[in-house]
Amino acid sequence: MINQLITIIVALIVAPLIGGLLFGFDRKITARLQGRYGPPIIQPFYDFFKLLGKERIAVSKLQFIWIYGYLIFMVVSLVFLVLKLDFLLLVFLLGFAGVCFVLGAFSTKSPYAHFGANRELLQILAYEPVLLFLALGIYAKNGSFLINEIFKQDKPLLFTLWPLFIAVLVVLTIKMRKSPFDISTSHHAHQEIVRGTITEYSGPYYALIQLVEWYELVLLLGIIALFWANPLWVGILIALGTFILELLIDNIAARMTARWMVRLSWSVGLILGIINIAYLYLTKGVA
Amino acid sequence: MESWMMAIAILLPLVAGILVFVIRQYHVQSFIVVLTAIILAVNSILFLQQGSFAYSPGGFNWGLIVTILDYVILLFYLYVGISLRNWLVLIFALTQLIPLAYWEFGMKAHVELTPAFVVDHLAMVMTLVISIIGSLICIYALRYMYDHEHHAKLAKSRQPRFLFWLIMFLGAMNGLVFANNLVWLYFFWEVTTLCCFQLIAHDLTKEAINNAARALWMNALGGTAFVFALIYLYTTQGGANALSVQNIISGNIPGAVIILPVALLCFTGFTKAAQMPFQSWLLGAMVAPTPVSALLHSSTMVKAGVYLVLRFAPAYAGTHLSTIIAIAGAFTFFAASGLAISQTTGKRVLAYSTIANLGLIIACAGINTPLSIAAAILLIIFHAISKGLLFLCAGTIEHQIWSREIEDMEGLAAKAPLTTLITTVGMLSMFLPPFGMLLGKWLALEAAFMVPLAAIFFVLASSLTIVFWTKWLGRLLQVLPKLGWPREKLSLSYSVPLWLLLIGIFVIGLGIGPIYQSFILSATNNVIAGNQIITFGWHSLILTGTAFVEKGILGLFPVWPLYLVLAVALLLPLLFIGLKPKELRPVYLCGEQTGNVGTDEWLAEADVKTKFQLGGYYYQKALGEKTLNPWVNTIAIVLLVIMLGCGVILK
Repeated sequence: MINQLITIIVALIVAPLIGGLLFGFDRKITARLQGRYGPPIIQPFYDFFKLLGKERIAVSKLQFIWIYGYLIFMVVSLVFLVLKLDFLLLVFLLGFAGVCFVLGAFSTKSPYAHFGANRELLQILAYEPVLLFLALGIYAKNGSFLINEIFKQDKPLLFTLWPLFIAVLVVLTIKMRKSPFDISTSHHAHQEIVRGTITEYSGPYYALIQLVEWYELVLLLGIIALFWANPLWVGILIALGTFILELLIDNIAARMTARWMVRLSWSVGLILGIINIAYLYLTKGVA
Repeated sequence: MESWMMAIAILLPLVAGILVFVIRQYHVQSFIVVLTAIILAVNSILFLQQGSFAYSPGGFNWGLIVTILDYVILLFYLYVGISLRNWLVLIFALTQLIPLAYWEFGMKAHVELTPAFVVDHLAMVMTLVISIIGSLICIYALRYMYDHEHHAKLAKSRQPRFLFWLIMFLGAMNGLVFANNLVWLYFFWEVTTLCCFQLIAHDLTKEAINNAARALWMNALGGTAFVFALIYLYTTQGGANALSVQNIISGNIPGAVIILPVALLCFTGFTKAAQMPFQSWLLGAMVAPTPVSALLHSSTMVKAGVYLVLRFAPAYAGTHLSTIIAIAGAFTFFAASGLAISQTTGKRVLAYSTIANLGLIIACAGINTPLSIAAAILLIIFHAISKGLLFLCAGTIEHQIWSREIEDMEGLAAKAPLTTLITTVGMLSMFLPPFGMLLGKWLALEAAFMVPLAAIFFVLASSLTIVFWTKWLGRLLQVLPKLGWPREKLSLSYSVPLWLLLIGIFVIGLGIGPIYQSFILSATNNVIAGNQIITFGWHSLILTGTAFVEKGILGLFPVWPLYLVLAVALLLPLLFIGLKPKELRPVYLCGEQTGNVGTDEWLAEADVKTKFQLGGYYYQKALGEKTLNPWVNTIAIVLLVIMLGCGVILK
């Protein structure tokens, strides 16, 4: 019990530090790729505290409720990961976080936020099935939905679940809202929807959004690390490798439309998932 | 004691119905309905105390009464078919009437059977749902119908007639879930079809009558399958013993004989549960006053359909029929969730969501493992509460804005904050953790790998579910930067059922551990005599023992901690974030707003002052009924044919 508590506390403190650093690294790499010098790596933290110190501004009295929901359900998903609990439930909790994010944008009467929210819903539609398939794949492999069980296996998941691994890479891009999937909101300047879902956040509440993004990034990379959980450092290296891959894709790809995204993930992502699960079902069978 | 309990559960609603029909005073009617509701609810809890028992009524020749009423109902269908010139109704009335008459009189079938009723734990769960949630909806209907007729400016009130059918529905449902004699089950089945027809047609508009007729012929088609199942069982097994539900599910009759009639009965269940391709009658039923929809969708009618499929699960366990039922149910879950996205009317979204969730429940019955059956029973309970609540919310909203369109509900939070709050919780409880529906869906998914195709549909459907609920919620919550909420007053007849159902979501959700142990487990064992595969700590649900992990843990759902998380995440900010007037700002419109902060007017083209408007997305080209229905119905019909084919071949 005490051990679990310590794990939770450490995760809650360390995760945003790692997430923030990764975002700083992202900005630096992207700047270099574009021939700029770029901000220092710890710039996200400067921004975070600067935003926290600002006055609170509201465009709707309902918006903030959902932002706390977004933060807390994201944190709980991360807790599920570090405590090695049920992966399927983790995906559902992550879904709740996503819903809060969308509802936060919907609860203003702002055209740009609504644009973003509607598109974010399509993003959810694109990534949610892949994550659920991953849960099924993990069950097919281990006979349990518990993340704990993954760590007990000698053979990494990647060997049998590599089609799903590829599908999850697409999810990572969608979730990080990076090109070609920076559809609902963006880290670059795409003016026509201003900043989509997060247009109407400012000051301390915008800082909260950034905090959630850090947690989310660590959570997603953690999920990717599960593909090689024994020894875990290999998994972490793979996760960092995919992060760098995402940065490259982000810089060389142009943004695509939401429809294209859903089609891609519902065709390629699902086919990969279905093939993977069908293969496991046929080889392992059901006792 | 037992005979009194049975009489109250089945006959009291009939008596109360006749009383409210005769006594036409609003206050006396209200008193009778509320009293009946309380007695029914208490009675259903007494059943739980009493434990399982078998019962055959004495006194009258009840069998004869049932037979006579059967023909009265079928002749009424004939009359409806002829007077409306609706040939489908006529045909399917005849396909029931002629074989039934030939069987009972031509072949002189002897269909007396003891026990006539068997009250087991599955029936108890059903009667709890019917008697408590159904009664709450009847109470709600009192005021609703008053307002409804006031708004429609009727010369002569038709409310007594409405209440009669509404209350009698509960009695018929109770009889249906208790019946052990299939002939009696068939009778109660037809009574629910009749009540449903009368209630849908209630407003007597052309649309209402057409849709009621459609509901009638589809359910009569199901009734036809029921009649053929009866006759087949009786003739091949040579006797009334084959008509005992308990005999059929306990494996006393050889599997090869049982599979065709069971396939037919499942087909019947599919029609009543509005599974694709029969979804259109339930969608058409939306024209009826909202309490009808609430009743049909939550505690009666469609639940009779899933009850029938679930009840006979042991009889088709381990066959291909079971697999195809799982796939057909899962397909309905998927297709209805997709179609729900394109709906612009609130009640139609609710209807598609019901069809989808019934598909999920039926798929769980088809997967046919202890885990999935437990999931199915939990889903029946939680769906009844949440969907009952949502329909009552839809009715309340309708009587505030006099519209059912989602676009008209834009910004409802600012006009009717209390209703919006209750609706929001109701919607969240349909698809998010830690609420019961999600718990059931989680269980279903953990069980679904047995039928991978069903699992794939589950995954796709639950992603689609998120989209249509969130989209609708988003329309309700859109508010301008203003402070303070308007005071919203609801009539007691509205607010009591709403609050009770809302509290019910949390009480049943939080208490799921003890509730599962005390009676859902036994109900699961009524369907599948499995080992206990779900255990509860004081706060968590643990699934153990799986196909290939010996005594390992399959999954874990910490119930209480997640409710705590929910409270911290949404309730605390709602209670404690207070804004000050100086913190309010207008949204980003490049400064083109006119007037003060709380305005939604801006300078449009040529600097004309315009109110800006936002609309929802419905993706009607991609997901509309016109685009999808041909595909969906074709696939569903193919699945149904395979299902019946399974029955014929496996025989």
